[in-house]
Amino acid sequence: MAGKEQLLTHLPTEFGGLEAGPIQRVEHELEPWEKRCHALADVLDFHKIINTEEKRRGVEALGAEMVGKLTYYERWIVAFTNILFEKGILTPDQVARKVEDVTARLKATPPA
Amino acid sequence: MPEHEHDHDNGHAHDHGGAHAHPGVGSSDYVPGYFEILERSITELLVERKLIGPDEIRRQIEVLDSRTPALGAKVVARAWVDAGFRKRLLANGRAACEELGITFYDDTGLIVLENTDTVHNLVVCTLCSCYPRPVLGLPPDWYKLKPYRARAVSEPRAVLAEFGTIIPDDVEVRVSDSTAQVRYLVLPKRPPGTENLTEEQLAAIVTRDAMIGVIPVEIRPDHRQAK
Amino acid sequence: MSTSAVVAAEGEIPIFSSGDRVRVCVRYPVGHFRVPNYIRGKRGIVERVIEPAALNNEEEGYGRNAGSRRHYYRIAIAMNELWSSYAGPSQDSLRIEVFETWLERI
Repeated sequence: MAGKEQLLTHLPTEFGGLEAGPIQRVEHELEPWEKRCHALADVLDFHKIINTEEKRRGVEALGAEMVGKLTYYERWIVAFTNILFEKGILTPDQVARKVEDVTARLKATPPA
Repeated sequence: MPEHEHDHDNGHAHDHGGAHAHPGVGSSDYVPGYFEILERSITELLVERKLIGPDEIRRQIEVLDSRTPALGAKVVARAWVDAGFRKRLLANGRAACEELGITFYDDTGLIVLENTDTVHNLVVCTLCSCYPRPVLGLPPDWYKLKPYRARAVSEPRAVLAEFGTIIPDDVEVRVSDSTAQVRYLVLPKRPPGTENLTEEQLAAIVTRDAMIGVIPVEIRPDHRQAK
Repeated sequence: MSTSAVVAAEGEIPIFSSGDRVRVCVRYPVGHFRVPNYIRGKRGIVERVIEPAALNNEEEGYGRNAGSRRHYYRIAIAMNELWSSYAGPSQDSLRIEVFETWLERI
């Protein structure tokens, strides 16, 4: 079937020259977790644990469905998680257990 | 080429982790979403492993909060009143900003693009959301969404018109697509009638959107009175 | 002592200079790239050489944080070179940074 290679040769995040609708001048004040996520990205880059270009590549690698359905900072945190697994810095089990732990903690004492 | 419909890149920035549908962060009923929990988890794990320090993120938030369009406006106003600074700014944007104490916390460079009677500059990142954050702060959603990123490089005049900006046909529209290490700041034209404004008053009329290049700098009615 | 005997390392000296006519290469990397599809094969002019030489961002995307560096170039490409049906004035143009390995001289 012709055209499947376009899934590889065009990135789901690449928009230059595509058809698109009118610009809606939306903006929003970042939520605290989004700001922390942005700061995390900068800190990861300072240490070259995940450099900025790796982050971009990680977002691209999420694929079209996730790129389409996740918000901007949701894409970042998922990309970081994947890359940390790739590099053997964290394991899925460690993250899963920590997520359980954090969830329980936040239910018990909601964040200020 | 098949077009990908991206719900969150089509210009609808409506889903922000449920914070609009649910109680806000400060409320005792606030329920953090999945991705916030993931963010907290990843950070805790990295701090536990001493890969990042316990205060680094908090410190970087302070850095980010200190970066707003007011910094860029200071740079523009200084360039308008000081010809030597303007020359240095156009030769090396980052170094000139550093003269004003605006540090660059990353490895990006800055090229300042001067709007003139013959060239109008516009900045975009078609591949992601590159933006001169050290000197302007964080970009607005529309800059990061598909319509702007798709059309700024193929129909810039139509995009400008949507912002209410009409550029005459004898003026070149020049679009800079940031793809690598360099970031861009537009140096807008100084509007007529501002000859008697102080540098501080000039900075007050320079908007973020003028430094992206989608609108010109205009004198607002309350600024027409010179001191 | 004459400086004509100085040999530069690979990538130290920019291959292109301001004013050179270049074409963006046509090839299709799998994985990460920073040369958008819409400029591939398009002709332009080097506006300036970006200094200093820097890492290949395609490789950087896979974790390469140090190593051989080459130059990026800010390239001017006419809008009507990019889009056959460009409706605006002929002097409208694009500027974009392209890594040295993605350019060929014409």
